[in-house]
Amino acid sequence: MQSTVTAIIDDLSSVIFGKKQQIKLALTCLFSEGHLLIEDLPGMGKTTLSHALAAVLGLSYQRIQFTSDLLPADILGTNVFNASEHTFTFHKGPIFSQVVLADEINRAGPKTQSALLEAMEEQQVTVDGKKYALPTPFFVIATQNPLYQSGTYPLPESQLDRFLMRISLGFPPKEAEKQLILNIKPRDYTQLPQRINSQQLTDIQNLISKVIISSPVIDYIIELVTHTRQSAAFAGSLSPRASMALAKAAKSWAFIESRDFVTPEDVQAVFASVCQHRLGLHNESGESQVNEILKTVAVPI
Amino acid sequence: MADMLNIRAINLAMSFIYACLFAFYLAHMPVFFVGVLALLCVWNFYLTLTNKAKPNGWLANILAGFALILMIYTLGMGDTVILFVAMLLLSSIFKLLQAKTKKHYHVIVTLTFFSISSAYLFNQSILTTLSMSALFLLNFAVLSLIESKHSLKLASKQSAKLLFIALPLAVFLLLFLPKMPAFWQLPGPKLAKTGLSEQVDPFDIAKLSNSDELVFRVRFDSPPPVSPYYWRALVHDTFDGNAWKTSDLLKFNNKTTEPIKQLSVTNSYTIIAEPANQKWLYGLNYATSNNKYVDSNALGLLRKKQYQAKSLQYQVSNSPLSTEQLSDWQINYYTRLNNKTNSQAQQLANTLKERSRSDKDFYDTLLNYFATKGFSYTLTPDLMTGNNTIDQFLFEKQRGFCGHYASAAAYMFRAAGIPARLVSGYLGAEKNQANNYLSVRQYDAHAWVEVYINDQWQIFDATAVVAPERLNGSLSQNEELNDEFKSNLDFGLVSLSNFAAINWLRLKLETLDYQWTSWVLGFDEEKQSNFLKSLFGSKNIWLVPLGVVLFLITSFSAYFIYLNWPRNNTKQPPLVNELESLNKWAKKMNIAAPVHYSPNQLLAHYAQQKPQAAQHLNEFSQLFNQVRYAKKPFTKDRKTQAKDLIKLIKSSK
Repeated sequence: MQSTVTAIIDDLSSVIFGKKQQIKLALTCLFSEGHLLIEDLPGMGKTTLSHALAAVLGLSYQRIQFTSDLLPADILGTNVFNASEHTFTFHKGPIFSQVVLADEINRAGPKTQSALLEAMEEQQVTVDGKKYALPTPFFVIATQNPLYQSGTYPLPESQLDRFLMRISLGFPPKEAEKQLILNIKPRDYTQLPQRINSQQLTDIQNLISKVIISSPVIDYIIELVTHTRQSAAFAGSLSPRASMALAKAAKSWAFIESRDFVTPEDVQAVFASVCQHRLGLHNESGESQVNEILKTVAVPI
Repeated sequence: MADMLNIRAINLAMSFIYACLFAFYLAHMPVFFVGVLALLCVWNFYLTLTNKAKPNGWLANILAGFALILMIYTLGMGDTVILFVAMLLLSSIFKLLQAKTKKHYHVIVTLTFFSISSAYLFNQSILTTLSMSALFLLNFAVLSLIESKHSLKLASKQSAKLLFIALPLAVFLLLFLPKMPAFWQLPGPKLAKTGLSEQVDPFDIAKLSNSDELVFRVRFDSPPPVSPYYWRALVHDTFDGNAWKTSDLLKFNNKTTEPIKQLSVTNSYTIIAEPANQKWLYGLNYATSNNKYVDSNALGLLRKKQYQAKSLQYQVSNSPLSTEQLSDWQINYYTRLNNKTNSQAQQLANTLKERSRSDKDFYDTLLNYFATKGFSYTLTPDLMTGNNTIDQFLFEKQRGFCGHYASAAAYMFRAAGIPARLVSGYLGAEKNQANNYLSVRQYDAHAWVEVYINDQWQIFDATAVVAPERLNGSLSQNEELNDEFKSNLDFGLVSLSNFAAINWLRLKLETLDYQWTSWVLGFDEEKQSNFLKSLFGSKNIWLVPLGVVLFLITSFSAYFIYLNWPRNNTKQPPLVNELESLNKWAKKMNIAAPVHYSPNQLLAHYAQQKPQAAQHLNEFSQLFNQVRYAKKPFTKDRKTQAKDLIKLIKSSK
């Protein structure tokens, strides 16, 4: 299984240059059965990454471009009157897919954003009082533009909390950009081989649930979240949902690192991605603040 | 409800305890009554499993009223012990059906301690003791569940541990604490057992209700006398035409008219009699005992002074049967007959009497008659009714068991004018090779005749000539009658004794039970005093109370000190001490590291600063990960490895 994971990371790295860390975080999020939020400027490869992820994981994929006039029915689907049979039939929306890319999610209005909420939390949608189950596994990969850009509606905290992780790709490293300019093209994501199928993905998730997390590590997680609750420096504080997400993500990270147990370093590796958006921090200033937490809280032995 | 977390486990455990108790009492109480109790128990199980509400007080009270009426109807008012126990069980199960609060459950647990203990009123075997101890333990666990959040498993484990610690103290107290005589005597529960009765009328029995239940065991102090063993229990001296009865004259409540004679003791042995509701006891020939719970009478029979719920151990001295002259009225008494019936038998007796020269000759002639006239032994004789049952037996059926032969023979002797009486008791015994004791069971029950010839009581046993093999060993070892015997027997281990393995197991279990009865149940004042004397010698026996008091004071103080001893509860988890010693070493080496570093980062940092120790630091880091984060056990090997690594790190230049 580990070699497959390595192959997946290599494949994705050939599509997006110089972003191995972010790729691993994205995989960590999907292995932890969580939804992923990618925040960045346009043109940084957010869409490419999500496409590529769906392709290598062998999952069905739908992209929804969020715009200010997008309506919930456009995402979920709608009942259409069948004149010949005098009945309503449900036409499934693009959300009925294993991987849904909600592109530029913060350009849509709050009502539309919240249409995603039930889907993300309960893996089902309700249209006209009738419930429809979504396929498994079900991932939402949402991208959002920086909030200072015009025409954006900030996601409410409750919705942000539904995302297990928020990552940011950021500018490519100099070497990668140099390659781009030298016209060494990254691989086309449509050419990527499918490395696993959804059954194997479930197997991986089962393996991850067996990764050992010992009590000193749990103590560390609790120290970290308690620190955010006691500090006045943050707009929000970390909920129990966040500490569970932290533990889950740390397990997945340890798995990707080919270990069957979690160390405090695993927690540190995923801490920023899991907690930053829940603390109401934005990418620009957030990074240093989150790192400050890691430097303040001593690791229990 | 909300104040108890374990309500489900408590209810299930209590229902289980009562289910077991009811199963036990099935043997001692009317089935219908126990069945009703069991139904209530099942109801509680059901309510607990389905999380349904318990019945309200109104309904429970009505039901309890009905149950009370049923109890009195089925049990009657005669036996107060059974009535008391039934009342206890009834109230406990109803309390359980209504219990909701902590206080209720406390009451039930307390009641249950009594309910469980009451089982010992009926049975004290090892099996009972073991199963009741298990229930006791469970009850203790429930008691701790009421106050704690433990699981039932943990609670049971802890109460088992506590009881196990208390066990040596209990044994000590049993051995050394003075044994007081009982302050009051419990009326004996009516134990329904088959066996002997004061009236012998074999002719209305078509099938012997045989049981392999143990009656008593015998241990000889010296080599045992030769068989056959005729264990006398009762003498029947009056014949009413059909049945032989024990006259009031012989009953013990009017003290005997005959003086107890001076004894020439031939044998002495110990008998351990199982609990029974009859008062009679057992002995060979003319038996006397100086046990304070045992009466001896002029006929050489033994009898309990009072009912005993537990088994009774007594020493017996034997001497030959009476040799003294019978008075005229006694001769008259022992030859009385109801002359209106059994004319054929009387005729035969007269004919035989005329033919024989002496009483002794008549004895032999009669024995010969039984041996030659086609009589046979059976455990399933035909039923004989009417006024001349002895005639029917002697001249028509000619098939019967000991009772038939004894009854007929005694009749014939009396008809011939020779004093005779019918004796019932047990014949034979099964020898347990390992422990050199004999066990006698209900199926060894036997009846024979004692006849007064030449100024001496002699045994006349017609069965001995009809089925001679009956005299040797126990009935269970009789090959000829084996099939008939076993088909007659209630199902039990004895009925399976043809299988070698089962027979071996049976004998082992019996030995165990014998030890139990003889050493645990039979540990009375006498045994205790012997034990203490053997331990301290008769002279220093006064040391015992002093020793006991000293022992108790020492053990309680030791326990008190143990409980209050200051303890280092903050024991460091494994490898943390080692890591701290490395930190101290780093400080000494002037390697500073940021405080927020995790152990791995710290060790990596040290490795960077001290490249010569890098390899060992790396190894220590891996070891630390395995033990602290991968939950691998901190084995001796890993401990040694850690110590070695630290030495290497510290010594690296």
